[in-house]
Order: sequence, then structure tokens, then C-alpha cells
Amino acid sequence: MKDFKARVEDFKKKFDKALAGAKDGKSLQELRNTYLSRKKGVVKSLLEELKAFKPEEKSKAGKMLNTLKNHVQKKLETAQKKFTAPETIEKKIDLTLPGEKKYWGAPHPVVLFQQKIENIFISMGFSIEEGPEIETDYYNFEALNFPPHHPARDDWDTLYLSDDLLLRTHTSPVQIRAMENRKPPIRIIVPGRVYRRETPDPTHLPMFYQVEGLVVDKGITFAHLKGTLEYFLKTLFYEKLKIRFRPSFFPFTEPSAEVDIECLVCRGEDDKCRVCKGTGWKEILGSGMVDPQVLKNVNIDPEKYSGFAFGMGIERTAMFAFQIPDMRYFFENDLRFIRQFTLK
Amino acid sequence: MIISLEWLKDFIDVDLPPSALIDKLDMIGLMVEEWKEKGSDIILDIETYANRPDTLGHLGVAREIAAALGLKLKQQEWPLAEIEEKTSELCDVQIWDPDLCPRYCGIVVKGVKVGPSPEWLRKKIEIMGLKSINNVVDVTNYVLFATSQPIHAFDLAKLAGRKIIIRRAKQGEAIKTLEEEDVSLSPDMLVIADEEKPVAIAGVIGGLESSVQEETQDIFIESAYFNPISVRKTSKKIGISTDASYRFERNADISFPPRAALMAASLMTQFGGKVSRGITDVYPKPAKERTVVLRNQRVFDLLGVEIDAKFSEKTLSNLGFQVESQRKDVWKVQVPHHRVDVEREADLIEEIARFYGYDKIPVHFPPLRVPEPPLDQRREKIDRSRQILFNHGFDEALNFSFSSPEKEAQFETGRSAIEIRNPISSNASLLRTTLMGGLLDNIAWNMNRGADGVHFFEVGNIYFKNKMKSQEQLTLSLVTTGLVGPPHWHRKSEKTDFFRLKGTLESLMEYLNYEPYSFKEEPHTLFEKESALALVVKKDTIGYFGLLKKSLLDAYSLDEPVWAAELNLDALFGKPSQAFQYSPVTKFPTVTRDVSFIADGNVSFQDIQEVVGKLSLPYLGSFDLYDRFSGPSIPKGKVSLSLRFVFSHPKRTLKTEEIDKIQKKIISALGASFNFQLREGGRIDK
Repeated sequence: MKDFKARVEDFKKKFDKALAGAKDGKSLQELRNTYLSRKKGVVKSLLEELKAFKPEEKSKAGKMLNTLKNHVQKKLETAQKKFTAPETIEKKIDLTLPGEKKYWGAPHPVVLFQQKIENIFISMGFSIEEGPEIETDYYNFEALNFPPHHPARDDWDTLYLSDDLLLRTHTSPVQIRAMENRKPPIRIIVPGRVYRRETPDPTHLPMFYQVEGLVVDKGITFAHLKGTLEYFLKTLFYEKLKIRFRPSFFPFTEPSAEVDIECLVCRGEDDKCRVCKGTGWKEILGSGMVDPQVLKNVNIDPEKYSGFAFGMGIERTAMFAFQIPDMRYFFENDLRFIRQFTLK
Repeated sequence: MIISLEWLKDFIDVDLPPSALIDKLDMIGLMVEEWKEKGSDIILDIETYANRPDTLGHLGVAREIAAALGLKLKQQEWPLAEIEEKTSELCDVQIWDPDLCPRYCGIVVKGVKVGPSPEWLRKKIEIMGLKSINNVVDVTNYVLFATSQPIHAFDLAKLAGRKIIIRRAKQGEAIKTLEEEDVSLSPDMLVIADEEKPVAIAGVIGGLESSVQEETQDIFIESAYFNPISVRKTSKKIGISTDASYRFERNADISFPPRAALMAASLMTQFGGKVSRGITDVYPKPAKERTVVLRNQRVFDLLGVEIDAKFSEKTLSNLGFQVESQRKDVWKVQVPHHRVDVEREADLIEEIARFYGYDKIPVHFPPLRVPEPPLDQRREKIDRSRQILFNHGFDEALNFSFSSPEKEAQFETGRSAIEIRNPISSNASLLRTTLMGGLLDNIAWNMNRGADGVHFFEVGNIYFKNKMKSQEQLTLSLVTTGLVGPPHWHRKSEKTDFFRLKGTLESLMEYLNYEPYSFKEEPHTLFEKESALALVVKKDTIGYFGLLKKSLLDAYSLDEPVWAAELNLDALFGKPSQAFQYSPVTKFPTVTRDVSFIADGNVSFQDIQEVVGKLSLPYLGSFDLYDRFSGPSIPKGKVSLSLRFVFSHPKRTLKTEEIDKIQKKIISALGASFNFQLREGGRIDK
């Protein structure tokens, strides 16, 4: 019996030594045959010997043998993995196959751009105000200092619903509504749909989006208008952007200013640039100091308060920023167009 | 406005290089939109504004340049070869409606040889983009583009009774215009008439009959000021707009008619004409001088920069304003008649700012004294909704607000559409009462261009009449059709279906904290029978969704089924969403029990939910259907349903026996209500 125990331990040591020397799957298979073969393996032959033992010795020896068998099996399995694992992965899976991306819906570029604009103004302490698209002549024109029958109205070609009701031609009526509803200080922007009686072409649409801005407080000056819009434009485009303010006319502002930014395409370097017509500048915003008559119309004393207002077309600005040649693309909702903007 | 640099030199000696002049013009508010060289001349296209009719002629632009460069305008002389006859003897001018015609000047040129224009005149007319007609007509246009004052030439011989009467048209009167168009007139229109009939529509266009022709010898020159509103109304009503009406309706310079008449008469003497003595000038109520008070302090208050008072004074005088100091830093400023835009102090401050240079005004940030109210909850909810929808693979669309009678008829929304009075086309003559029309167009557009599936949503207003009032309603619509996502080797391509849409809406309601919500089977005009559900929140129907009607798909030539939803966001966001409160996470293990049943195929899940709900089971955390199938292993007409129940207790570990008891209760309740049988082989415990 002692002899049997020693031999089992000896086999274990021999096995461990042989396993350590095994270099590949083939040598492992040989080891497996030597020890575990059902016909002539080491374990099998030791098992044969048990028959001669006494019953109490038999069970002890059986346990020893079982331990050896388990040891060999376990070690062989572990070793097998070590040798075969890298090979099988390479054979089973082509890691160059495309991964599975999630189909994530894309925001509409107009909304994307609108939010970009909104966020810059929110960072400057502005809040967002909205108003109806169906407006009265009073809010759309008269309160904004467009006298009835004034040719200035021609620049805001209007879709009418009745004698008095129309589709707002700009977001400016919301200025009036805000000033009627609140006391200064007021610092708002107003995004929204506006309408013009225009036949669609690459640069005109009967409906588009605008963002309007209004600041009213004591001591607001043209310098504040410049400061606000310069910060806005530099944040929207880039810090070194060239900007110029030049005199213009809007019935509801006085003085009025048009804001140009340098042509993003030619940077003023190309006399024949199609985007800026060789001027080097691109008109981007209309603005001005709120006209004293407009303040009077909402019972704000222009001697005590002043303000500035501004407005811009969202599609037009996005077209310029991304070099989109045709405004109509925005409302075709072609997925190949819309989905481009997701990561921009 | 087209401006020729050569022509400008008639009024001002400017010798800046063109590019410097263009920059200068831009910066004083006369934006040069385009320019080109033409021979030795340079032609500018200048953007002009509705309040600056004075810039609609070379003289006005020259005035601006003079002020900007500190130059003086050249004085022009208009020599006349006169005859003995007085103007008033040759033609009698009477204003019968001084409100609509406050001033009318006339002068006669006799013995003009009407013929082709001389070279210098023809060139100028052609620069302006007009065709040279004859020397007399060209002179009238020349004066208009030189000075912005429209004038008109009549053939004196054709004026019956040698009379010019400025009056309203009589009912039934008509005129054939220079353009040979017959126009019927009405008493709201001002006309120039002779003794018998209208010979011109005042300020808009002349009549053919009294016009200057080759045989014309004696000419009556009209140079007048007409009421701008009257000219505009007439021009709009008859649908004729001319270079003259464009200027009159913007308000002309009331002081200018005599000068323009003399200028025209002088030029016509070059064609052999002799001018009548004494200009006729009917001007019953001369316009008052306009004065505006300007305070230096206000210049600073509005512009945010200290501008030297002397600079302000000089700028205004250069522009033709008469500046009179009232006391220190306060001026009384008299406005020249050609500046019809200047009425208030702010208008003068704009003049000072324009010539000071907007670029020299400093850049400041407005102080934020009082914060704005917090941002609107509604906007936040809209944006949250959009994020949820993106996550579910829906792309965002924006469509025009317009619709057509045909579209509205297809959708039968039951809402009364609002009509546009002057639509751009009959396809866009109404406002949309549903977002579905645009979205179906979008599906068709993309499917026709090779898309395998289209899943869009739009957030926008619909519009309709509600008790005679027009209403705008914020709406969310979704459409889903075809394959979900692009085909991929790693998983099977799946087609969208009803439950994908429903799940999206469920997510929407859950992430927006609108729980509890429920669904109700309800027929709807947009959807196929028995294929639509209403979404109900707090007893109100918020919207509908389902399988779109075949007839709609046919109308848009769509082959694949489309599932769609339309929700009233105004109604939804009008309800308070549930305030969020965290619930404690239990430290004790949860117990999951899966139970599988064989059930009748027609038992609805909502009924099962109700029965389970009524049991008010203790410790029940969640309850879901995780498998449902039928097939060879299941008896005909039956389905296998697998339900998963998850139990937990906040303060202790649950005992197997208590859960067993609850499970038995569930099984017996479902058995009793729906005759459910426990499925063999179904896992009972876990």
C-alpha cells in the first residue's frame, strides 16, 4: 500500500515535469494518452492494481487515484487553453468586420442652428420669448412704426388672412408684446417662423426662421448693441472674425445698423467671389436702437429708457456658415441632407 | 439706385479713387451692392431705403458725399431763352384738391423740335437702363434721375381749353396710358385733367393722347408734389408702378418743383424751344419749416460715446440742416425739405452717428442689473421630447405651414382650415390643420431616392378656426415606415411596426414624467379600422396613433405601410408633469418569478394588467410580459404568455413562502378571470 502511494505521487511529479516541458497541443495529446487512455493509460493500469487490495485500503487508494486523475485532467485542460486560445479566435472572428452603430435620429439643421444661437444669448443673460405666427396689422406693422400705406411695407411683402390678420413677416411683433407685458429691464430673444409673399427660389422662401433680440433698460446705448452682437458673432463663428456696422433703415429702429461679417469663403481676397460678390462682406444681421415712437407705443418713456433690437434669418446664416447654395434644401427634408448636420 | 460717377461730377468735384469712394458710401449708409466699369465711367448700384427718397437721384447722393468729404455742391445754372407770353396766359392751372396736390408748377416751352436725343443725353438715359425715346421724354427722365423730382411733359395743343385741372377722377372716367393700357378711374384717384377729361394719373403715369409725339411743338412741363399716400393707393389699385410713383409715394421734396421745371425747360431750349415767362406755381398752403431740438447729452445717451459738439454742428450743416444754438449744448435744428425722414431728435442723432462712423463707436457690454425670468418649462419639455425621439431613431423634419384644399380633403381632420387671401399658389392657399401632409411628402421624397426606411417627427404648429377665432396649436407628429436603420451583417434587418411607435410614445410619456397614461382603442379618420389607439393622460385624449389609412398611402403613392402619431403638445404640456422624487433603493435581494400560461388568443394585455392591478399585491416592484408566442407546440387558437413579476421589500429579505402565496394568488386570479392554464415546462421558480 505504501508502495502504491509513493508510485502515485511519483506519477504526479513525472506528469507535472512532462507538462512543464510540453510545447504544443500535440505533446499535450501525448501526455493525455499516457495518463488517461482508457486502455493502457497510467490511471487505468493503477486502477487494475486495486483489485488486489483489501476493502479499506481499496477505498483509500481509490481516492488517491481519483485525486491524480482530477489533477491530470485539470492541468491538461488549462494547458490546452493556453495553447489553442489565440489560434481559435483568429480563425473564428474577422475583427475587421464593421461594428454595429446605433441609428440615432438627427436634429433638423435649422433647429440645431437656432439652438446654437439661443445658447449664446442665454449665456449673456437673455431669456427666450415666443409669440403667435398669426398676427394683427397693429403688432406686425403699426406698433413698429410702419405707417399705413408706407412703402417701407413693400420690403415685408405680406400674406394676409383678412383685412386685419396676417402671417407675421418678422418676429418683431413679439418685441411689442413683450414690452406690453413686462416692465424693463428686458433682455430677450425671439426665435420663430415668419412668412413673406415670395415664390421659392435658391435665396427666397415664403416661410423661414428668424431670431429677434431686444434689450431695453436705463442707459442702453449703441455701444452696448455693438458689444452684444460682436460677442455673439465671434462666438457663433470664430474669435478673430471681422465685423462691421453700417447705417441702414428699419422703421422700428433709429439709428439703424446693418451688420456685415467678413466673407467666410474668400476672406475678402477674391474680387470675383460669388458668395460676397467681391465685396469681402456678407450681411448677417439687421439692428438698431429701438425707435422712440416704438417705446411710446408701449408706454415706455424714451427719455428714461432706451434699448436696442436686432434680427437675423436662421437659414440664411446657416447657408453662409455651411456653404449651402439653396435655401429650399432645408424644407425638402432629404435624409441625406439633414443627417449631415448631426455632428456639426 | 443706379449712380454714374461721371454724372455725380455734375454736382460735386470728387476725385477719390472708386474703391475709397465705395467704402465711404458703404459706411454712411449708401451700400454699394455692385459696381462695374463702363468706358471711362463707373456705374454703382446703391441700396436705398424707403425713408430716403432724396437718394433716388444723383443730386441726393452727391449731397451725402459732399457732407462726408466736406465738399461743396456745385451751383448749377439753368439759362432760359424766354418769350413774351406769360405761362399763365398759355395754360391755366387750377388745383381742385389741395390735400392730394399741395403744389403744382408748370411752364411752357414753345417751338421744340422733337427728335432723337443728343449723344450726351442718350448715354445718360441708357446708363439708367432705359431706352432713349425722344429728346423731350429723355429730358423728363434725365431730370428725374438727376434730382429725384419726377416731371411730366404734355403736348400743350392736346390740352382742351388750355387748362390743367388737378382733381379727383369722376365715376366712370377712364384713360389710355402711355403704355397703351386702358385704366378705369375712380373718385379716390387724383388725376390731371384738361377742360374735358383726365390727361394723366397724377404722379403715376401720363395719358397717351396728351403725350409728346413727333409733331408736337409746344410743351407744358409739369413739376409737382403729390400726396404720397394717394399716389401709393392709386398705383397699387391700378397695378402700375413707375419711376415717378416710386418717388412720390416715398414723399418728394416739396421745395423742389420750381427748380426741376426750370431745369427741364432750360434743357429743352437746346432743341429750339423758347420758354414762357414766369413759372406757374400753385402752392396754396406753403409747408411749414420743420424744427427739431437736439441735446448734446442725448447724443451720448444713445450712442455711448462722447462726440465733440462742434462735430455734430458741422455734420448737420454740411447736410443742409440749419443749426441754431439755443443754450449750451442744445440746438434748434431746421430740417431741409428734402430730408422727409428727419422728424425727431433720434433722427438727428443717427445723422451724427453716420458721419462720425459706426466703426468709431466703442464696444461695450450692457450691464445685467436684473436677471431675466427663468427659462420656460415648455421649451425644456419640447427639447427633452426631441432627445427621446432621436434616441428612438426618429429624424427631425420641418415642413412649410402651408396646405392645399386637396390635401385638407384627404386628411379630414375636422378642423376648419384658415385661408390665405393672397397665396403664392393654390397649393399653398391654406394653413395646415395637420402635420401629416408634410411628413408623408417627406416619406415619398426619401423613398423615391432609395431610402429603405423613413422615421420622421416634426414639432410645429397647426392652424385652424375655432369659434371664428384663429388658433395655433403646438403639435408633435411621428411617421415610421420600412426598415429600421441601415442593413447590417450583425443583426437581421427589422421592419418598423405598430409596437415600435407605441414604445416610442411610452418612452416619451415616461421620460417626460406624464404617468399614469393609458391607451384606448378608438377609431380615427387618419387610421385603418381597429388599428388605432388614443393616448389618454388624466382623462384627456392627447393624441392618436396607428396604421395610416390605405387611401392616404395611395394619395402619396406609398407602398409600404406607415404608422403615424399626432399629439397635441399644448394639451399635454398644459398638464403638470409628475414632480420627480427619488425612491429608496432596497438593500435586500429582489425576488423574480416567471410564470407562463396558455391563454385564449383574444385576451388583451390591458385586461391582464387590470386584473393584476386590482390584486394590489404587496412588494410587487414591476410586472412585465417578456414572451408571447403561438405555434405547433401550443393548441390552436391559444397563445403562450410569459409574465415576470419582481418583488422586493425595503427593510428585509422576502421569504419564499410569502412569495409563493402571492404567486398562487396571481395564478388563481388569472385562471378565474381568463381561464389561464399554467404551461407545462414553464419555469415556476427561479
